[in-house]
Amino acid sequence: MAAETAPAAPLTPAVFAILLSLAEGEKHGYLIMKDARTLRGGGVRLGPGTLYGSLDRMMRDGLVEESGLSDDERRRYYRLTAPGRTVLGAELERLDAAVASARTLGLLPHGGRS
Amino acid sequence: MTPTPLRPGRLERLYALALCLYPKCFREAYGTSMRQAFRDALGDRSLSRRTFLFLTLQDLVTSLAKEHFCMLRDTYSRPALVFNALVLAGLSTGLALALYAIPQQVLRQGANDPQIALATDLVAELEQGALPALAGGSGRVDMARSLSPFVIVFDDRGQPVASQAQLDGQTPTLPRGVFNYVRQHGEERVSWQPRPGVRIAAVVQRVNGAHSGFVLAGRNMREVEAREEQVRQMAGVTWIGMLGVILVGTAIFGWYTRSKVA
Repeated sequence: MAAETAPAAPLTPAVFAILLSLAEGEKHGYLIMKDARTLRGGGVRLGPGTLYGSLDRMMRDGLVEESGLSDDERRRYYRLTAPGRTVLGAELERLDAAVASARTLGLLPHGGRS
Repeated sequence: MTPTPLRPGRLERLYALALCLYPKCFREAYGTSMRQAFRDALGDRSLSRRTFLFLTLQDLVTSLAKEHFCMLRDTYSRPALVFNALVLAGLSTGLALALYAIPQQVLRQGANDPQIALATDLVAELEQGALPALAGGSGRVDMARSLSPFVIVFDDRGQPVASQAQLDGQTPTLPRGVFNYVRQHGEERVSWQPRPGVRIAAVVQRVNGAHSGFVLAGRNMREVEAREEQVRQMAGVTWIGMLGVILVGTAIFGWYTRSKVA
């Protein structure tokens, strides 16, 4: 079962950024790299090797899958699976709890961006 | 002459060459997409080319190492392959132990043969009435240096009464436990260390009759232990060789039977 083999949080920055990017919808490799580079995408600089290596392992874990959609035979699109969305949700909750804890400790301003 | 600047086409060709360094199955599955992502990044005006090329170089180094490691892990962590290798390693370890233990025991037991004959004959003489002092002779053999067999006659309390051998100018005595054992069982064969660095293959027999006591026949084990060491080294080399053959065989078998699916 894919859900049973899904990795436990915390995720690596690359896996987290890929899941976050694909949460918006189906994307091809470079779009994922571009999303990951932005601050809202995790600020992770992914090269093609890391990206496709991560995608390969995430597909084996059942977190993402190829959508079959393609505007070019060289561009393959990927999408999140249900277990992938669950894993992303769990990671976001973990990060949210950490941010809340940081606020409680006065390390972050209350009401700030989270 | 100014150097020709690298055009995108040339950079992409260089990257395509670098992709050849990835494991074949990974390259076949993702090579085209990676090349396309590289091309897209080069065409992206929002991304500094210098930054991207530096990132790509870093990525090549780290992801190449990672993908090769994953490929090796997937190839060689298959339970059947590991199990077979472990079974073969276990068998070769058992075989190497036998290669050492059997000749070692044969050598060690063979080292007692002259002493058994000496002790048996002397015990027979003593039990027929020979005097211990005459039967045992006087000290001539240096136990530390000589490889000649020797005998020592002890009285019933374990005190030496006659000896053909000496160590550091004295006749050493056996531990009391050996005499107690021989009293009960008639004979004991031991490796006796009268002092560090001197080991004696000793046969101790009980003497009954008028001159009851004990006879020890011994011989320095230096040569026998040197041969045992040779056997140990040969068994060790054989063991390492067998493990090497198993390792190489497993690596080759694992490689040719690896999954072709990325």
